[in-house]
Amino acid sequence: MKIVRACKTCHKLTESDVCPNCSLPTSKRWRGYVIIRNPENSQVAKAMNITKPGKYALKVM
Amino acid sequence: MEGSNSEEIVQENTKIFTIKTQVGKEQNTADLINSRAGKSKIKIPSILVTPELRGYIFLESYDKERIRDMIKTVSYARNMLEGDIPIDQIQHFLIPASAVAKITEGDVVEMIAGPFRGETAKVTHIDDTKEEITVELFESVVPIPITVRGEQVRVIKRKDEEKNKSEEEKRD
Repeated sequence: MKIVRACKTCHKLTESDVCPNCSLPTSKRWRGYVIIRNPENSQVAKAMNITKPGKYALKVM
Repeated sequence: MEGSNSEEIVQENTKIFTIKTQVGKEQNTADLINSRAGKSKIKIPSILVTPELRGYIFLESYDKERIRDMIKTVSYARNMLEGDIPIDQIQHFLIPASAVAKITEGDVVEMIAGPFRGETAKVTHIDDTKEEITVELFESVVPIPITVRGEQVRVIKRKDEEKNKSEEEKRD
């Protein structure tokens, strides 16, 4: 089973060591889970400044 | 025809509903709802799982009754709480505070995890960027600085409290 990692900058969850969005290193220590399906109509996405749909972590350590 | 077309409903503001789930299965429930929403026409802009709130997830949507019907078929989802909650009430979950934000140098802390669990120590240094603190254990004969994560400790006595107490003792 692959370990899910989170980008230290945009918090996007990925299995890769490098974030597909911002090409920065990812961390395997993260907490919280957010699924953004429609960022245009989501209050949560706006509060978190997320513009792309996907799975995100709330906190990355 | 009011509300018959889901495209019309999209124009309204979303509401945040609370779903009760089986404890420990919050993330699985969110994934299941996500896949279910993809197959059905129910508009769910976001699903939120917070580590602080075990057994509950937040779901952002428009139609309460459709969500209520959908979660009946989702494993691990128990029921939906009455009413919706404003975004202000969950704002603190979205932008979590640093684990070391409430700790200051000189505080007395108790280790709650790791090999030194249960021991008390004094905070000597705080690293805000790494969210780590350096402590010196009271029990150890030689003061050895140990660096631990901010979540691994619990403040039991503030520096100010300790100062006030020593001043009171001096007066007596």
